[in-house]
Amino acid sequence: MHALVQGVILGVLTGGVYALMASGQTLIFGIMKVVNLAQGAMVIMGAYLAYQLFVSFGLDPFLAIPITTVVMFGLGVAVQLLFLRPLRRDDKSELSLLVTFAVALLLEGIMSVTWSTTYRSINTSYANSSWTVLGYQITAVRVWAFALSLLALGLLFLLLNRTRFGRAVRATVQNPESARLLGIESDRVAALGFGLGAATAAAAGSVYGLLYPFYSGSHYDLISRLLSIVVLGGLGSVGGAVVAGVIVATSSAVVAATVSPAWSEMTFFAVLILVLLVRPQGLFGTVGRGAI
Amino acid sequence: MTAILSLTGVVAGYGAGDILKGVDLTIEKGTITCLIGPNGAGKSTVLKTVSGLLHPREGTVVFDGDEISRLSPKARVQRGIVHVPQERSLFPGMTVTDNLLLGGYLIRDAAVVRSRLEQAWEAFPICRSRAGERAGSLSGGEQKQVELARTLILDPTLILLDEPSIGLDPRSRGIVFESIRTLSASGRTVLLVEQNARSGLAASDFGAVLESGRVRLEATGASLLDDPEVARLYLGAGASAAPSATPPLLAHDDEGMRR
Repeated sequence: MHALVQGVILGVLTGGVYALMASGQTLIFGIMKVVNLAQGAMVIMGAYLAYQLFVSFGLDPFLAIPITTVVMFGLGVAVQLLFLRPLRRDDKSELSLLVTFAVALLLEGIMSVTWSTTYRSINTSYANSSWTVLGYQITAVRVWAFALSLLALGLLFLLLNRTRFGRAVRATVQNPESARLLGIESDRVAALGFGLGAATAAAAGSVYGLLYPFYSGSHYDLISRLLSIVVLGGLGSVGGAVVAGVIVATSSAVVAATVSPAWSEMTFFAVLILVLLVRPQGLFGTVGRGAI
Repeated sequence: MTAILSLTGVVAGYGAGDILKGVDLTIEKGTITCLIGPNGAGKSTVLKTVSGLLHPREGTVVFDGDEISRLSPKARVQRGIVHVPQERSLFPGMTVTDNLLLGGYLIRDAAVVRSRLEQAWEAFPICRSRAGERAGSLSGGEQKQVELARTLILDPTLILLDEPSIGLDPRSRGIVFESIRTLSASGRTVLLVEQNARSGLAASDFGAVLESGRVRLEATGASLLDDPEVARLYLGAGASAAPSATPPLLAHDDEGMRR
Protein backbone atom coordinates (compact mmCIF):
# COMPACT_ATOMS: atom_id res chain seq x y z
CA MET A 1 0.00 0.00 0.00
CA HIS A 2 2.83 2.35 0.88
CA ALA A 3 4.49 1.70 -2.47
CA LEU A 4 1.20 2.31 -4.27
CA VAL A 5 0.62 5.70 -2.64
CA GLN A 6 4.26 6.67 -3.17
CA GLY A 7 3.82 5.74 -6.85
CA VAL A 8 0.68 7.86 -7.13
CA ILE A 9 2.43 10.88 -5.59
CA LEU A 10 5.41 10.50 -7.92
CA GLY A 11 3.16 9.91 -10.94
CA VAL A 12 0.94 12.92 -10.37
CA LEU A 13 3.95 15.21 -9.90
CA THR A 14 5.62 13.86 -13.05
CA GLY A 15 2.33 13.90 -14.95
CA GLY A 16 2.10 17.66 -14.60
CA VAL A 17 5.40 18.03 -16.44
CA TYR A 18 4.31 15.65 -19.20
CA ALA A 19 1.05 17.56 -19.47
CA LEU A 20 2.98 20.76 -20.10
CA MET A 21 5.13 19.10 -22.77
CA ALA A 22 2.14 17.57 -24.51
CA SER A 23 -0.07 20.66 -24.32
CA GLY A 24 2.12 22.44 -26.87
CA GLN A 25 2.07 19.48 -29.19
CA THR A 26 -1.68 19.03 -29.09
CA LEU A 27 -2.15 22.79 -29.57
CA ILE A 28 -0.07 22.65 -32.75
CA PHE A 29 -2.09 19.70 -34.01
CA GLY A 30 -5.35 21.47 -33.20
CA ILE A 31 -4.43 24.60 -35.14
CA MET A 32 -2.55 23.14 -38.09
CA LYS A 33 -3.41 19.42 -38.13
CA VAL A 34 0.33 18.82 -37.97
CA VAL A 35 1.76 16.01 -35.84
CA ASN A 36 4.89 17.79 -34.67
CA LEU A 37 7.58 15.13 -34.34
CA ALA A 38 10.04 17.85 -33.33
CA GLN A 39 8.24 18.60 -30.05
CA GLY A 40 10.51 16.21 -28.12
CA ALA A 41 13.62 17.78 -29.65
CA MET A 42 12.28 21.21 -28.73
CA VAL A 43 11.87 20.09 -25.10
CA ILE A 44 15.48 18.86 -25.07
CA MET A 45 16.62 22.09 -26.71
CA GLY A 46 14.83 23.97 -23.92
CA ALA A 47 16.62 21.77 -21.39
CA TYR A 48 20.00 22.55 -22.99
CA LEU A 49 19.30 26.29 -23.00
CA ALA A 50 18.38 26.17 -19.31
CA TYR A 51 21.50 24.07 -18.66
CA GLN A 52 23.71 26.59 -20.46
CA LEU A 53 22.23 29.56 -18.60
CA PHE A 54 22.76 27.68 -15.32
CA VAL A 55 26.35 26.71 -16.11
CA SER A 56 27.41 30.06 -17.61
CA PHE A 57 25.52 32.52 -15.43
CA GLY A 58 24.33 30.46 -12.48
CA LEU A 59 20.75 31.25 -13.44
CA ASP A 60 18.24 28.92 -11.80
CA PRO A 61 16.38 26.85 -14.44
CA PHE A 62 13.02 28.11 -13.16
CA LEU A 63 14.17 31.70 -13.48
CA ALA A 64 15.58 30.92 -16.94
CA ILE A 65 12.15 30.02 -18.27
CA PRO A 66 11.18 33.57 -19.36
CA ILE A 67 14.36 33.65 -21.47
CA THR A 68 14.16 30.13 -22.92
CA THR A 69 10.47 30.45 -23.79
CA VAL A 70 11.08 33.66 -25.73
CA VAL A 71 13.99 32.08 -27.64
CA MET A 72 12.03 28.92 -28.41
CA PHE A 73 8.94 30.91 -29.37
CA GLY A 74 11.05 32.64 -32.00
CA LEU A 75 12.46 29.30 -33.15
CA GLY A 76 8.97 27.84 -33.42
CA VAL A 77 7.70 30.76 -35.49
CA ALA A 78 10.75 30.45 -37.75
CA VAL A 79 10.20 26.71 -38.25
CA GLN A 80 6.57 27.31 -39.18
CA LEU A 81 7.40 30.12 -41.59
CA LEU A 82 10.35 28.36 -43.24
CA PHE A 83 9.26 24.74 -43.39
CA LEU A 84 5.54 24.33 -42.75
CA ARG A 85 3.89 27.37 -44.33
CA PRO A 86 5.15 26.45 -47.83
CA LEU A 87 3.45 23.04 -47.43
CA ARG A 88 0.13 24.70 -46.53
CA ARG A 89 0.43 27.04 -49.48
CA ASP A 90 1.13 24.17 -51.87
CA ASP A 91 -1.60 22.01 -50.33
CA LYS A 92 0.93 19.35 -49.30
CA SER A 93 0.30 19.34 -45.57
CA GLU A 94 0.51 15.54 -45.49
CA LEU A 95 4.30 15.96 -45.84
CA SER A 96 4.42 17.83 -42.53
CA LEU A 97 5.16 14.59 -40.66
CA LEU A 98 8.38 14.15 -42.63
CA VAL A 99 9.24 17.82 -42.35
CA THR A 100 8.85 17.95 -38.57
CA PHE A 101 10.92 14.75 -38.29
CA ALA A 102 13.61 16.47 -40.36
CA VAL A 103 13.41 19.47 -38.02
CA ALA A 104 13.88 17.09 -35.06
CA LEU A 105 16.99 15.64 -36.70
CA LEU A 106 18.28 19.12 -37.48
CA LEU A 107 17.82 20.21 -33.86
CA GLU A 108 19.45 16.99 -32.67
CA GLY A 109 22.44 17.70 -34.93
CA ILE A 110 22.75 21.26 -33.64
CA MET A 111 22.57 20.07 -30.04
CA SER A 112 25.13 17.30 -30.66
CA VAL A 113 27.58 19.74 -32.19
CA THR A 114 27.05 22.40 -29.53
CA TRP A 115 26.91 20.30 -26.38
CA SER A 116 28.33 16.92 -27.58
CA THR A 117 26.42 13.69 -26.99
CA THR A 118 27.29 13.07 -23.36
CA TYR A 119 24.55 13.15 -20.76
CA ARG A 120 24.03 16.45 -18.96
CA SER A 121 22.06 17.25 -15.85
CA ILE A 122 21.23 20.46 -14.03
CA ASN A 123 22.37 20.06 -10.43
CA THR A 124 20.92 22.90 -8.40
CA SER A 125 21.45 23.32 -4.66
CA TYR A 126 18.00 21.90 -4.01
CA ALA A 127 18.31 18.98 -6.45
CA ASN A 128 18.58 16.41 -3.70
CA SER A 129 16.39 17.96 -1.02
CA SER A 130 13.17 16.25 -0.10
CA TRP A 131 10.42 16.27 2.50
CA THR A 132 8.83 13.40 4.36
CA VAL A 133 5.08 13.81 4.73
CA LEU A 134 3.14 11.12 6.62
CA GLY A 135 5.91 8.69 5.86
CA TYR A 136 6.00 9.45 2.13
CA GLN A 137 9.03 10.99 0.54
CA ILE A 138 8.47 13.95 -1.73
CA THR A 139 11.41 15.47 -3.58
CA ALA A 140 11.47 19.25 -3.64
CA VAL A 141 12.45 19.52 -7.27
CA ARG A 142 9.41 17.49 -8.38
CA VAL A 143 7.08 19.64 -6.31
CA TRP A 144 8.51 22.80 -7.82
CA ALA A 145 8.40 21.24 -11.29
CA PHE A 146 4.75 20.32 -10.77
CA ALA A 147 3.92 23.78 -9.47
CA LEU A 148 5.70 25.43 -12.39
CA SER A 149 3.86 23.18 -14.84
CA LEU A 150 0.52 24.08 -13.27
CA LEU A 151 1.41 27.76 -13.46
CA ALA A 152 2.44 27.48 -17.12
CA LEU A 153 -0.70 25.53 -17.99
CA GLY A 154 -2.78 28.11 -16.13
CA LEU A 155 -1.20 30.90 -18.15
CA LEU A 156 -1.84 28.91 -21.34
CA PHE A 157 -5.47 28.47 -20.30
CA LEU A 158 -5.84 32.21 -19.67
CA LEU A 159 -4.17 33.00 -22.99
CA LEU A 160 -6.52 30.69 -24.88
CA ASN A 161 -9.69 31.68 -23.06
CA ARG A 162 -9.30 35.32 -22.08
CA THR A 163 -7.46 36.96 -24.95
CA ARG A 164 -8.29 37.98 -28.49
CA PHE A 165 -5.45 35.81 -29.80
CA GLY A 166 -6.73 32.87 -27.76
CA ARG A 167 -10.21 33.24 -29.23
CA ALA A 168 -8.66 33.27 -32.70
CA VAL A 169 -6.71 30.09 -31.91
CA ARG A 170 -9.77 28.30 -30.55
CA ALA A 171 -11.86 29.41 -33.50
CA THR A 172 -9.22 28.19 -35.96
CA VAL A 173 -9.06 24.83 -34.21
CA GLN A 174 -12.82 24.36 -34.22
CA ASN A 175 -13.70 25.67 -37.67
CA PRO A 176 -10.81 27.03 -39.76
CA GLU A 177 -12.86 28.17 -42.77
CA SER A 178 -15.39 29.97 -40.63
CA ALA A 179 -12.54 31.63 -38.72
CA ARG A 180 -11.11 32.96 -42.00
CA LEU A 181 -14.52 34.31 -42.96
CA LEU A 182 -14.56 36.37 -39.76
CA GLY A 183 -11.22 37.97 -40.66
CA ILE A 184 -8.95 35.70 -38.63
CA GLU A 185 -5.69 35.18 -40.51
CA SER A 186 -5.08 31.45 -40.26
CA ASP A 187 -1.46 31.75 -41.44
CA ARG A 188 -0.66 34.19 -38.64
CA VAL A 189 -2.48 32.07 -36.07
CA ALA A 190 -0.57 29.00 -37.30
CA ALA A 191 2.82 30.73 -36.98
CA LEU A 192 2.09 32.13 -33.53
CA GLY A 193 0.48 28.85 -32.46
CA PHE A 194 3.56 26.88 -33.48
CA GLY A 195 5.68 29.41 -31.59
CA LEU A 196 3.46 28.97 -28.56
CA GLY A 197 3.86 25.18 -28.80
CA ALA A 198 7.64 25.60 -28.90
CA ALA A 199 7.50 28.00 -25.94
CA THR A 200 5.65 25.44 -23.82
CA ALA A 201 8.31 22.91 -24.86
CA ALA A 202 10.98 25.32 -23.59
CA ALA A 203 9.23 25.75 -20.23
CA ALA A 204 8.85 21.98 -19.95
CA GLY A 205 12.48 21.54 -21.04
CA SER A 206 13.80 23.59 -18.11
CA VAL A 207 11.84 21.36 -15.76
CA TYR A 208 12.82 18.17 -17.61
CA GLY A 209 16.48 19.11 -17.27
CA LEU A 210 16.02 19.39 -13.51
CA LEU A 211 14.36 15.99 -13.22
CA TYR A 212 16.30 13.81 -15.64
CA PRO A 213 19.76 13.59 -17.22
CA PHE A 214 19.49 14.23 -20.96
CA TYR A 215 21.48 14.25 -24.17
CA SER A 216 20.72 15.24 -27.74
CA GLY A 217 19.09 11.88 -28.58
CA SER A 218 16.74 11.94 -25.57
CA HIS A 219 13.97 13.30 -27.76
CA TYR A 220 13.30 9.86 -29.30
CA ASP A 221 12.07 8.46 -25.97
CA LEU A 222 10.20 11.63 -25.26
CA ILE A 223 8.30 11.93 -28.52
CA SER A 224 6.81 8.42 -28.28
CA ARG A 225 5.46 9.27 -24.81
CA LEU A 226 4.18 12.65 -25.92
CA LEU A 227 2.38 11.13 -28.89
CA SER A 228 0.74 8.60 -26.56
CA ILE A 229 -0.45 11.39 -24.28
CA VAL A 230 -1.73 13.56 -27.13
CA VAL A 231 -3.63 10.69 -28.76
CA LEU A 232 -4.99 9.49 -25.43
CA GLY A 233 -6.22 12.97 -24.48
CA GLY A 234 -7.78 13.51 -27.90
CA LEU A 235 -5.92 15.18 -30.76
CA GLY A 236 -6.16 18.94 -30.43
CA SER A 237 -7.51 18.98 -26.86
CA VAL A 238 -5.24 20.82 -24.41
CA GLY A 239 -7.42 19.79 -21.48
CA GLY A 240 -7.26 16.21 -22.71
CA ALA A 241 -3.47 16.34 -22.84
CA VAL A 242 -3.34 17.48 -19.22
CA VAL A 243 -5.61 14.69 -18.01
CA ALA A 244 -3.86 12.08 -20.17
CA GLY A 245 -0.43 13.24 -18.99
CA VAL A 246 -1.40 12.73 -15.37
CA ILE A 247 -3.08 9.37 -16.11
CA VAL A 248 -0.21 7.77 -17.98
CA ALA A 249 2.52 9.14 -15.71
CA THR A 250 0.64 7.99 -12.61
CA SER A 251 -0.07 4.54 -14.08
CA SER A 252 3.56 4.21 -15.09
CA ALA A 253 4.85 5.24 -11.66
CA VAL A 254 2.40 2.96 -9.85
CA VAL A 255 3.43 -0.01 -11.99
CA ALA A 256 7.10 0.81 -11.38
CA ALA A 257 6.55 1.01 -7.64
CA THR A 258 4.28 -2.01 -7.23
CA VAL A 259 5.22 -4.43 -10.02
CA SER A 260 8.56 -3.68 -11.64
CA PRO A 261 10.27 -0.69 -13.24
CA ALA A 262 10.80 -2.94 -16.28
CA TRP A 263 7.05 -2.83 -16.99
CA SER A 264 6.71 0.86 -16.32
CA GLU A 265 7.59 2.07 -19.81
CA MET A 266 5.07 -0.26 -21.38
CA THR A 267 2.28 1.15 -19.22
CA PHE A 268 2.16 4.29 -21.36
CA PHE A 269 1.17 2.29 -24.39
CA ALA A 270 -0.99 -0.27 -22.59
CA VAL A 271 -3.18 2.54 -21.19
CA LEU A 272 -3.32 4.13 -24.62
CA ILE A 273 -4.45 0.94 -26.35
CA LEU A 274 -7.06 0.17 -23.69
CA VAL A 275 -8.63 3.62 -23.89
CA LEU A 276 -8.57 3.73 -27.68
CA LEU A 277 -10.41 0.41 -27.83
CA VAL A 278 -13.30 2.09 -26.01
CA ARG A 279 -12.91 5.68 -27.27
CA PRO A 280 -11.05 5.81 -30.61
CA GLN A 281 -11.11 9.62 -30.59
CA GLY A 282 -9.31 9.73 -27.21
CA LEU A 283 -10.64 10.98 -23.89
CA PHE A 284 -11.60 14.51 -24.95
CA GLY A 285 -11.29 14.33 -28.72
CA THR A 286 -14.13 14.87 -31.14
CA VAL A 287 -14.85 12.68 -34.15
CA GLY A 288 -15.13 15.61 -36.55
CA ARG A 289 -13.85 19.04 -35.75
CA GLY A 290 -11.16 19.86 -33.22
CA ALA A 291 -11.73 20.72 -29.62
CA ILE A 292 -9.77 23.00 -27.36
CA MET B 1 -30.55 51.86 -58.06
CA THR B 2 -26.80 51.62 -57.42
CA ALA B 3 -24.80 48.47 -58.00
CA ILE B 4 -22.97 47.41 -54.83
CA LEU B 5 -21.38 44.29 -56.33
CA SER B 6 -20.41 43.42 -59.90
CA LEU B 7 -18.83 40.23 -61.16
CA THR B 8 -17.51 40.45 -64.70
CA GLY B 9 -16.27 37.42 -66.63
CA VAL B 10 -15.32 35.60 -63.44
CA VAL B 11 -13.60 32.26 -63.94
CA ALA B 12 -12.82 30.34 -60.74
CA GLY B 13 -12.58 26.80 -59.42
CA TYR B 14 -10.71 24.28 -57.35
CA GLY B 15 -7.53 22.47 -58.37
CA ALA B 16 -7.21 22.35 -62.14
CA GLY B 17 -10.93 22.56 -62.89
CA ASP B 18 -13.05 25.64 -63.48
CA ILE B 19 -16.46 25.77 -61.81
CA LEU B 20 -17.30 29.34 -62.81
CA LYS B 21 -16.76 29.83 -66.52
CA GLY B 22 -17.38 33.51 -67.01
CA VAL B 23 -19.92 34.73 -64.48
CA ASP B 24 -21.43 38.18 -65.03
CA LEU B 25 -23.64 39.31 -62.20
CA THR B 26 -24.70 42.67 -60.77
CA ILE B 27 -26.25 43.11 -57.33
CA GLU B 28 -28.12 46.29 -56.45
CA LYS B 29 -27.61 48.01 -53.13
CA GLY B 30 -30.13 47.24 -50.40
CA THR B 31 -31.77 44.33 -52.20
CA ILE B 32 -32.06 40.61 -51.65
CA THR B 33 -30.89 38.54 -54.62
CA CYS B 34 -31.30 34.79 -54.77
CA LEU B 35 -29.04 32.57 -56.88
CA ILE B 36 -30.72 29.39 -58.03
CA GLY B 37 -29.61 26.57 -60.29
CA PRO B 38 -28.90 22.86 -60.38
CA ASN B 39 -26.34 21.17 -58.14
CA GLY B 40 -22.82 21.80 -59.38
CA ALA B 41 -23.79 25.00 -61.22
CA GLY B 42 -21.36 27.00 -59.09
CA LYS B 43 -23.69 28.87 -56.74
CA SER B 44 -21.56 28.39 -53.61
CA THR B 45 -18.42 29.06 -55.65
CA VAL B 46 -19.80 32.50 -56.55
CA LEU B 47 -20.14 33.32 -52.86
CA LYS B 48 -16.63 32.03 -52.09
CA THR B 49 -15.25 34.18 -54.88
CA VAL B 50 -16.96 37.25 -53.44
CA SER B 51 -15.83 36.55 -49.84
CA GLY B 52 -12.23 35.79 -50.85
CA LEU B 53 -12.07 32.11 -50.00
CA LEU B 54 -11.39 31.67 -53.73
CA HIS B 55 -9.60 34.08 -56.01
CA PRO B 56 -10.83 34.34 -59.59
CA ARG B 57 -8.47 33.08 -62.30
CA GLU B 58 -9.96 35.55 -64.71
CA GLY B 59 -12.42 38.41 -64.47
CA THR B 60 -13.07 41.00 -61.81
CA VAL B 61 -15.07 41.38 -58.61
CA VAL B 62 -15.96 44.99 -57.88
CA PHE B 63 -17.48 45.92 -54.52
CA ASP B 64 -18.72 49.43 -53.78
CA GLY B 65 -16.63 50.83 -56.62
CA ASP B 66 -13.35 49.08 -55.73
CA GLU B 67 -11.90 45.99 -57.34
CA ILE B 68 -11.47 43.38 -54.61
CA SER B 69 -10.58 40.32 -56.73
CA ARG B 70 -7.17 39.76 -55.09
CA LEU B 71 -8.01 40.85 -51.55
CA SER B 72 -7.85 38.41 -48.62
CA PRO B 73 -11.00 37.33 -46.75
CA LYS B 74 -9.90 39.59 -43.89
CA ALA B 75 -9.66 42.64 -46.14
CA ARG B 76 -13.12 41.91 -47.52
CA VAL B 77 -14.60 41.52 -44.03
CA GLN B 78 -13.10 44.92 -43.21
CA ARG B 79 -14.92 46.36 -46.22
CA GLY B 80 -18.22 45.01 -44.96
CA ILE B 81 -18.66 41.65 -46.69
CA VAL B 82 -19.80 38.81 -44.47
CA HIS B 83 -20.20 35.22 -45.67
CA VAL B 84 -22.26 32.62 -43.83
CA PRO B 85 -21.28 29.30 -45.45
CA GLN B 86 -23.53 26.35 -46.09
CA GLU B 87 -21.93 24.12 -43.46
CA ARG B 88 -22.53 25.01 -39.84
CA SER B 89 -20.17 27.90 -39.32
CA LEU B 90 -20.39 28.29 -35.56
CA PHE B 91 -17.63 27.21 -33.21
CA PRO B 92 -19.39 24.35 -31.45
CA GLY B 93 -17.24 24.24 -28.33
CA MET B 94 -17.70 27.93 -27.57
CA THR B 95 -20.66 29.65 -25.97
CA VAL B 96 -23.24 31.49 -28.03
CA THR B 97 -21.89 34.80 -26.76
CA ASP B 98 -18.28 33.90 -27.61
CA ASN B 99 -19.46 33.02 -31.12
CA LEU B 100 -21.15 36.39 -31.44
CA LEU B 101 -18.10 38.23 -30.11
CA LEU B 102 -15.93 36.52 -32.71
CA GLY B 103 -18.10 38.23 -35.30
CA GLY B 104 -16.45 41.43 -34.10
CA TYR B 105 -12.92 40.00 -34.13
CA LEU B 106 -11.66 42.82 -36.34
CA ILE B 107 -13.31 45.59 -34.31
CA ARG B 108 -10.87 46.99 -31.73
CA ASP B 109 -13.38 49.19 -29.92
CA ALA B 110 -14.97 47.03 -27.21
CA ALA B 111 -17.79 49.54 -26.70
CA VAL B 112 -18.82 49.19 -30.36
CA VAL B 113 -18.81 45.41 -30.10
CA ARG B 114 -20.88 45.58 -26.91
CA SER B 115 -23.42 47.89 -28.48
CA ARG B 116 -23.78 45.66 -31.55
CA LEU B 117 -24.08 42.62 -29.30
CA GLU B 118 -27.07 44.32 -27.70
CA GLN B 119 -28.54 44.93 -31.17
CA ALA B 120 -27.98 41.29 -32.12
CA TRP B 121 -29.66 40.18 -28.89
CA GLU B 122 -32.61 42.40 -29.71
CA ALA B 123 -32.94 41.08 -33.27
CA PHE B 124 -32.39 37.46 -32.28
CA PRO B 125 -33.64 36.98 -28.69
CA ILE B 126 -32.48 33.37 -28.64
CA CYS B 127 -28.90 34.63 -28.53
CA ARG B 128 -29.62 36.26 -25.19
CA SER B 129 -31.68 33.45 -23.71
CA ARG B 130 -29.05 30.83 -24.65
CA ALA B 131 -26.05 33.13 -24.21
CA GLY B 132 -23.98 30.87 -21.98
CA GLU B 133 -24.72 27.60 -23.73
CA ARG B 134 -22.32 25.86 -26.06
CA ALA B 135 -23.27 26.64 -29.65
CA GLY B 136 -22.93 22.96 -30.58
CA SER B 137 -25.81 22.09 -28.24
CA LEU B 138 -28.34 24.25 -30.14
CA SER B 139 -30.72 22.89 -32.77
CA GLY B 140 -30.06 23.53 -36.46
CA GLY B 141 -32.57 26.38 -36.64
CA GLU B 142 -31.20 27.99 -33.49
CA GLN B 143 -27.65 27.75 -34.78
CA LYS B 144 -28.69 29.43 -38.01
CA GLN B 145 -30.18 32.30 -36.04
CA VAL B 146 -26.92 32.68 -34.11
CA GLU B 147 -25.03 32.72 -37.43
CA LEU B 148 -27.28 35.49 -38.74
CA ALA B 149 -26.98 37.40 -35.46
CA ARG B 150 -23.20 37.15 -35.70
CA THR B 151 -23.25 38.97 -39.02
CA LEU B 152 -24.83 41.96 -37.25
CA ILE B 153 -21.81 42.42 -35.00
CA LEU B 154 -19.83 43.55 -38.03
CA ASP B 155 -22.62 45.80 -39.29
CA PRO B 156 -21.96 44.54 -42.82
CA THR B 157 -22.90 46.13 -46.12
CA LEU B 158 -23.20 42.84 -48.00
CA ILE B 159 -24.27 39.53 -46.49
CA LEU B 160 -23.62 36.30 -48.40
CA LEU B 161 -25.83 33.44 -47.28
CA ASP B 162 -25.24 29.93 -48.57
CA GLU B 163 -28.26 27.64 -48.22
CA PRO B 164 -29.51 29.23 -44.99
CA SER B 165 -32.56 26.95 -44.82
CA ILE B 166 -30.87 23.64 -45.52
CA GLY B 167 -31.76 20.92 -43.07
CA LEU B 168 -34.27 23.07 -41.18
CA ASP B 169 -37.84 22.21 -40.31
CA PRO B 170 -40.57 24.41 -41.88
CA ARG B 171 -41.00 26.57 -38.76
CA SER B 172 -37.26 27.26 -38.50
CA ARG B 173 -37.14 27.96 -42.25
CA GLY B 174 -39.84 30.57 -41.80
CA ILE B 175 -37.92 32.23 -38.97
CA VAL B 176 -34.72 32.27 -41.01
CA PHE B 177 -36.35 33.85 -44.08
CA GLU B 178 -38.07 36.40 -41.87
CA SER B 179 -34.67 37.18 -40.34
CA ILE B 180 -33.19 37.65 -43.80
CA ARG B 181 -35.94 40.14 -44.68
CA THR B 182 -35.20 41.96 -41.40
CA LEU B 183 -31.52 42.18 -42.29
CA SER B 184 -32.39 43.62 -45.68
CA ALA B 185 -34.95 46.06 -44.29
CA SER B 186 -32.15 47.72 -42.33
CA GLY B 187 -30.46 48.67 -45.61
CA ARG B 188 -28.10 45.75 -46.02
CA THR B 189 -27.64 43.90 -49.28
CA VAL B 190 -28.15 40.14 -49.24
CA LEU B 191 -26.90 37.65 -51.83
CA LEU B 192 -28.51 34.34 -51.14
CA VAL B 193 -27.93 30.85 -52.52
CA GLU B 194 -30.90 28.63 -51.93
CA GLN B 195 -31.63 25.07 -53.01
CA ASN B 196 -35.22 25.63 -51.92
CA ALA B 197 -35.61 27.95 -54.91
CA ARG B 198 -39.29 28.78 -54.42
CA SER B 199 -38.79 30.02 -50.84
CA GLY B 200 -35.59 31.80 -51.81
CA LEU B 201 -37.11 33.66 -54.74
CA ALA B 202 -40.24 34.51 -52.76
CA ALA B 203 -38.09 36.22 -50.15
CA SER B 204 -35.96 38.05 -52.74
CA ASP B 205 -36.21 41.20 -54.82
CA PHE B 206 -34.15 39.69 -57.60
CA GLY B 207 -33.09 36.26 -58.74
CA ALA B 208 -30.46 34.84 -61.04
CA VAL B 209 -30.28 31.42 -62.63
CA LEU B 210 -26.81 29.90 -62.68
CA GLU B 211 -26.17 26.99 -64.98
CA SER B 212 -22.88 25.26 -65.81
CA GLY B 213 -20.83 28.08 -64.35
CA ARG B 214 -22.59 30.95 -66.13
CA VAL B 215 -25.50 33.23 -65.27
CA ARG B 216 -28.23 32.38 -67.77
CA LEU B 217 -30.93 34.68 -66.54
CA GLU B 218 -31.44 37.60 -64.18
CA ALA B 219 -34.86 38.95 -63.27
CA THR B 220 -37.00 40.01 -60.38
CA GLY B 221 -37.77 37.26 -57.93
CA ALA B 222 -41.47 37.46 -58.78
CA SER B 223 -40.79 37.16 -62.53
CA LEU B 224 -38.69 34.05 -62.06
CA LEU B 225 -41.37 32.53 -59.84
CA ASP B 226 -43.94 33.16 -62.58
CA ASP B 227 -41.75 31.87 -65.40
CA PRO B 228 -43.05 28.45 -66.46
CA GLU B 229 -39.68 27.25 -67.74
CA VAL B 230 -37.92 28.22 -64.52
CA ALA B 231 -40.79 26.68 -62.56
CA ARG B 232 -40.49 23.43 -64.54
CA LEU B 233 -36.73 23.19 -64.17
CA TYR B 234 -36.01 24.55 -60.72
CA LEU B 235 -39.16 25.06 -58.69
CA GLY B 236 -40.55 21.55 -58.74
CA ALA B 237 -43.67 22.42 -60.78
CA GLY B 238 -45.40 20.05 -63.20
CA ALA B 239 -44.73 16.42 -64.01
CA SER B 240 -41.06 16.91 -64.76
CA ALA B 241 -40.45 18.80 -61.57
CA ALA B 242 -36.99 17.50 -60.80
CA PRO B 243 -34.25 19.28 -62.72
CA SER B 244 -32.57 17.04 -65.23
CA ALA B 245 -28.82 16.47 -64.98
CA THR B 246 -28.20 18.83 -67.87
CA PRO B 247 -31.14 21.19 -68.11
CA PRO B 248 -31.53 22.96 -71.44
CA LEU B 249 -30.26 26.47 -71.78
CA LEU B 250 -32.79 29.08 -70.74
CA ALA B 251 -32.86 31.36 -73.74
CA HIS B 252 -36.17 33.16 -73.60
CA ASP B 253 -36.59 36.78 -72.52
CA ASP B 254 -39.89 37.31 -70.78
CA GLU B 255 -41.13 40.62 -69.47
CA GLY B 256 -39.30 41.56 -66.29
CA MET B 257 -36.10 39.81 -67.30
CA ARG B 258 -33.00 41.91 -67.09
CA ARG B 259 -31.12 39.94 -69.73
